[in-house]
Amino acid sequence: MAGADIEDRKVVAEVKGLVKDFGGRTVLSGIDLKVREGETFVIMGGSGCGKSTLLRHMIGNLKPSSGRVYLLGTDITDFEGAELDDVRKKIGMSFQSSALFDSMTVGENVSLPLREHTKLEKSVINIMVTMKLELVGLRGFEDLMPSEISGGMKKRVGIARAIAMDPKIVFYDEPTAGLDPIMAAVIDKLILDLSRKLSITSIVVTHDMKSVLGIGDRIAMLYEGSVLEVGTAEEIKNSQNATVQQFINGSFDGPISFFQSKADYLEQLTK
Amino acid sequence: MQICMEDKDGIVVCRLRSDVDINSSPDVRNYFERLTRDKKEKILIDFKDVDYVDSSGLATFVEIFKNMRTYGGKLKLMNLSNKVRGLFEITKLDKLFEIAAQEADALSSF
Amino acid sequence: MRNPIALMGAALLGSFRHVSGVLALLRSAVTLSIVGIVKKTPSSRHSISQQLVFAGVQSVVIVCFLAFFTGIVIAMQSARQLQQMGTVIYVAAMVSISMARELGPVFTAIVVAGRVGSAIAAELGTMKVSEQIEALETLAIDPVKFLVVPRFLALLIMLPCLTIFADAMGIVGGFIVGVFNLGLDPYRYIRVSFEFLVWKDVWTGIVKSLCFAAAIGMISCYVGLNTRGGAEGVGKSTTLSVVASFIAIIIIDCILTGIFFFSQM
Repeated sequence: MAGADIEDRKVVAEVKGLVKDFGGRTVLSGIDLKVREGETFVIMGGSGCGKSTLLRHMIGNLKPSSGRVYLLGTDITDFEGAELDDVRKKIGMSFQSSALFDSMTVGENVSLPLREHTKLEKSVINIMVTMKLELVGLRGFEDLMPSEISGGMKKRVGIARAIAMDPKIVFYDEPTAGLDPIMAAVIDKLILDLSRKLSITSIVVTHDMKSVLGIGDRIAMLYEGSVLEVGTAEEIKNSQNATVQQFINGSFDGPISFFQSKADYLEQLTK
Repeated sequence: MQICMEDKDGIVVCRLRSDVDINSSPDVRNYFERLTRDKKEKILIDFKDVDYVDSSGLATFVEIFKNMRTYGGKLKLMNLSNKVRGLFEITKLDKLFEIAAQEADALSSF
Repeated sequence: MRNPIALMGAALLGSFRHVSGVLALLRSAVTLSIVGIVKKTPSSRHSISQQLVFAGVQSVVIVCFLAFFTGIVIAMQSARQLQQMGTVIYVAAMVSISMARELGPVFTAIVVAGRVGSAIAAELGTMKVSEQIEALETLAIDPVKFLVVPRFLALLIMLPCLTIFADAMGIVGGFIVGVFNLGLDPYRYIRVSFEFLVWKDVWTGIVKSLCFAAAIGMISCYVGLNTRGGAEGVGKSTTLSVVASFIAIIIIDCILTGIFFFSQM
């Protein structure tokens, strides 16, 4: 997908001036983002930069201190209860820890939203579950418990559950974290396939540079609660921003510093 | 969900009048369950007015197909838009159903 | 070191906040239960039956065991005193009344708080720290409706049943002491047991056990759903649910006994 024609598409998710304070500490300080229909939008940044917090604001699980959040054309900032649930039925979320319900089988996990929210017959739901599991390459695993499958498989079941209700947008929180490189590539391919084939908008939060550059139509770099830069993979690769460059290359030296000054250390030791 | 039915020389032609999604597919299922309970041998579904079929719709058609196969009935689909055809292809269902381009072809192929 | 009075004040304020949290959960659980029963939500039926088996059927043996020996102990303790007055037959009445009014409901509630309440807190706590509760919310499923209501209803149904079992087993325990140890006539023992036991003793016991059931269910669900901080947090929640349930049981028992047996004297 080229960068130019994305600009003409409908905005399906938007964050305007989002600020979040947690107990006096500002975690997000004025975020502005627009995600357009059908694109794969990656939010990248280091641990603790607030990217998961941003994601939770976008799906209405956290409320901003100020600013607005729009999903599928509606302002969901002040939505609670039934109103929020109506919006949530149109989106999917894949969790970092997969968050499968461990008292239910793989099949029951995928069918849960269908059983809870639709009047579909059990036989139809079973066919849907088989179709969803086929999409993530796990057909035949319906009757296993989450504890009996590997981490990568859990992630894929989580994705199958996220797309059970045919959502317009799917949010992924660290989809490749903790997986081996091959499984990470499988998940990346799956995210791309779902976006392309089912024209789902994907919003991915990750610090895995390989998947950032591999799947992102557009990429936003988040650092210390602000967006440093938004652009296509090419634009980000050629960024002039030293922080962005440090993050892409994973280099030790740069504006992002992880150590306190030596003087302070000696001072504390000899205090 | 509105469905128009006509009988053409023993072939039941059902014309779907709107999208088949999570809200309408239970109706579609009930409608076709009546036909399969009467063991209609030949059913042709017209997708001319259908813009979108979601996965509950696809699953519903698979179930109709399964039910018809138990008594040796034949199910065919026609007039699928490119988008709807694409949805069948992603889930590999284009290999399961016989999909005809035009009504005449579909009717003569039974 | 902070001022101990200030610390106590903070702890008290904190516990008031939690009490109001538990009451808010109770209100929504009751509302959703009524809505669920009226609308006959099919999905929760399966999980209610699962919870009924866990909370009730699987607690029967331990509850009966405990009540049986409690009956034996009351009979032995009271026999000596009553023997001195030459009224040893009243052991029977002593056992049946104290089991029905007090020990049956309270001991059963304590067993269930330890066995079922802790399990609820641990299960919901694990679901909380492993993002499963958030996943439910994101799937537009209300955790109170989906998780709390079945557990709440199962406890409300099962605790009174278990209490009846406990009452009966306590009387059996007392009977064994009375007949085989004190040499009382079995027929007379049974007659005296039920001669002094009035309806009020039984129904007040059942009302108590209903209140205990609500307290155990709400406290353990509330504590579970508010778990923070990984495996350690789950451990803390499990302990807290049991301790808080015990405290609630004793306070409720005290209040209800006052209302039922003391206020009209």
